[in-house]
Amino acid sequence: MTATNDLAEVRDAVADLLTDRVTPEILEAAERDGWAATVWEPLHAGGFTTVGVPEAAGGAGGSVAEACSVLEAAGAAAAPVPLAETGLLAGRLLAAAGLPLPDGPLTTGTGAVTLTGGALSGQLARVAWASAATRIAVLADGPDGAVVALVDPTTTRIAPGHNLAGEPRESVDLDGVVPEAIASVPPDTRELLARRGALARAALIAGAARRVLEVTVTYTGERVQFGRPVSRFPAVADHLVRIAEQTEMAAMAARSAAVGAGEGEPDALDVAAAAAVASEAAGLVAAAAHQATGAMGVTREFALGVLTRRLWSWRDEWGGERAWATDLGRTLAAGGPDALWPTLSRGVRTGT
Amino acid sequence: MIFEPTALSADEEKLRDEVRGFLAETLPPDFRPGLGLGGRHDPEFTRTLAQRGWVGMSIPTRYGGAGASTVRRFVVIEELLAAGAPIAAHWIAERQSAPAFLRFGTEEQREWFLPRIAAGECWFSLGMSEPDAGSDLASVRTTATPVEGGWRASGTKVWTTNAHLNHFAAMLCRTTPQAEAGDRHAGLSQLIVDLADEDVHVSPIPLIDGEEHVNEVVLDGVFVPDERVLGEVGQGWAQVTAELAHERSGPDRYLSILGLYRAFVDVYGRDPDDARAAAIGRIGAQLWTIRQLSLAVARSLDQGEAPAVEASLVKDIGTTFEQQVVEALRDAAGGEIDPDGPTMFDRLLAECVLNAPTWTLRGGTTEVLRGIAAKALTKGS
Ligand SMILES: Cc1cc2nc3c(=O)[nH]c(=O)nc-3n(C[C@H](O)[C@H](O)[C@H](O)COP(=O)(O)OP(=O)(O)OC[C@H]3O[C@@H](n4cnc5c(N)ncnc54)[C@H](O)[C@@H]3O)c2cc1C
Repeated sequence: MTATNDLAEVRDAVADLLTDRVTPEILEAAERDGWAATVWEPLHAGGFTTVGVPEAAGGAGGSVAEACSVLEAAGAAAAPVPLAETGLLAGRLLAAAGLPLPDGPLTTGTGAVTLTGGALSGQLARVAWASAATRIAVLADGPDGAVVALVDPTTTRIAPGHNLAGEPRESVDLDGVVPEAIASVPPDTRELLARRGALARAALIAGAARRVLEVTVTYTGERVQFGRPVSRFPAVADHLVRIAEQTEMAAMAARSAAVGAGEGEPDALDVAAAAAVASEAAGLVAAAAHQATGAMGVTREFALGVLTRRLWSWRDEWGGERAWATDLGRTLAAGGPDALWPTLSRGVRTGT
Repeated sequence: MIFEPTALSADEEKLRDEVRGFLAETLPPDFRPGLGLGGRHDPEFTRTLAQRGWVGMSIPTRYGGAGASTVRRFVVIEELLAAGAPIAAHWIAERQSAPAFLRFGTEEQREWFLPRIAAGECWFSLGMSEPDAGSDLASVRTTATPVEGGWRASGTKVWTTNAHLNHFAAMLCRTTPQAEAGDRHAGLSQLIVDLADEDVHVSPIPLIDGEEHVNEVVLDGVFVPDERVLGEVGQGWAQVTAELAHERSGPDRYLSILGLYRAFVDVYGRDPDDARAAAIGRIGAQLWTIRQLSLAVARSLDQGEAPAVEASLVKDIGTTFEQQVVEALRDAAGGEIDPDGPTMFDRLLAECVLNAPTWTLRGGTTEVLRGIAAKALTKGS
């Protein structure tokens, strides 16, 4: 188990680095241009973009839990760059395939893609930062099983698209594209990628939710109506408490699943639970925060929207709460009533 | 906030296995689980548990306890509550009274009460609420006046769980009139009242499920000797509130529904449709997370912290969750609620629906807990 203090240090280091760099102007520009070089470069220089990718594979090293600590800080800052995609997702995918790690932002996606005679066919839907990435790691079905194919995005046809936060979510047409490199991977690679995708989103949600709490507590403490700060009204205070509760739920779920991965991959049950909890929390946190901050909260200018638009998007990326709850429910039901409590009370495993 | 994931050590896991093994041997196969802290009052079970050293675990060995950490106690009570074991006889004595004696009691009181509590032979009720003092506990009117060698207490307590079965109750009384004490939180004291005393009159208050486990307790000038005052005279308020971090965030706040959840999986878990699978999964995910929050509080208590606000949050999250579970499983099962239905699920659902309203009331209402948490969150504004 990675010591809690180390994880907090990683979180703080990334938070410090991002504080003055992710400004409202930068966020507006990123939504317009699809890229934020002044945010990416310092993270890259600091070695934070490939945390969770083994050093031997060209990454910065570190566990899944450390990678998720980076993501919590990135979520809190609303950093408009593909940190999850470069490290935990594409980076680890390439490492598993034994392929070299290209420099710069990377991404990956899901979709039915096949490899025949050296060329790909199929589409990836809603790929994060596909055009901005230097390479896309594509998981495809080859003639002899699953493969990872390294693709240069400029050789694909990309159709634009966004999530609610204006983050690029593009569709990538791979028909006829010849990858730069191909390597076979074990059959469970797709499932592991989906798990890391969902866990990464849970960590981002946990970070953003905590920042929403701070923003909302501050605003409601300063906004005066009827002669006192609105946070003194019990009905408003109730919103604050529920935001705090859901934030702690999301964070505990994401951190438990991340820490439970030890030096390996996160566990199926842990991730399903974390994703179900964090995705549900995202919607509750956003709704309560907007109610508590009145009209100011829904303005483009106010610091809340960049966070809530992300919460509303991230909760469904890599599967929403119902999908993960259903998945988890089937697993738990299959175990039968006697296994229910022993399974759920297993808690955080001390490494694998 | 102190919420960080914490794992059980190998030793703690071993203890858990022992408790599981014991429960599997002890509870009959057709056992109907109690609803968490609403488990049945069973002196025999309490004594058996005590023989294993699992009652009053945090009591130091020199007073007959196990001298165990908060987390080890957590491990044991979590398993007992998950099984719906009949823990009511020792529940308050072990959760509330023993820690209070340790912190505020005299050496004499510790030597007398603690070994008896740890042996499962001395059971307590909580005498806080009164007809006019619910959430606003400081407005209690039960009054104790000094007499030769002690106090005479008069007043009426209500909702006193199991006062008809237990031996003692720690009664919060006013010992200095408010006019003299000034501050309304001053002048309160905790008196240990012998519930078998002839000047104590216990009568049941039936609840909506027809059960009679809460009582009205009239103190009719009952004599309480000086050596039965818990802690300092006048410090009752501080003592009562200091107990809250220990009391609020435990597994009793999210495990009342475990028996129902299990029974649902038993009846509807074979090849569930999507809606039922989603219900099972959502409850599992929440439970898995809340348990980690509660365990984190226990661990931080062992590290010498006093996470009172976190404890309030966990209690609120846990009890709200419990109520949602009842409604979610009722909805997923479909059909009418039948208290005499053929399955354990039918019967437990009926019991849960009738008991769920109390989960967010007892030990501090949702509104009061959120008030405490909000104050901490907005400190400074
Ligand atoms: C099954 C059961 C067992 C119990 N066992 C015991 C026991 O053994 N010993 C014991 O002493 N007590 C016991 N209680 C009593 C319990 O502690 C009280 O019910 C609780 O403190 C609330 O008080 P009340 O019921 O008088 O509600 P009230 O205080 O009258 O509250 C009514 C409503 O007003 C709200 N409210 C009150 N004050 C505020 C405020 N400041 N801000 C916002 N909202 C507020 C409450 O949240 C609630 O919604 C038990 C209760 C139950 C249901």
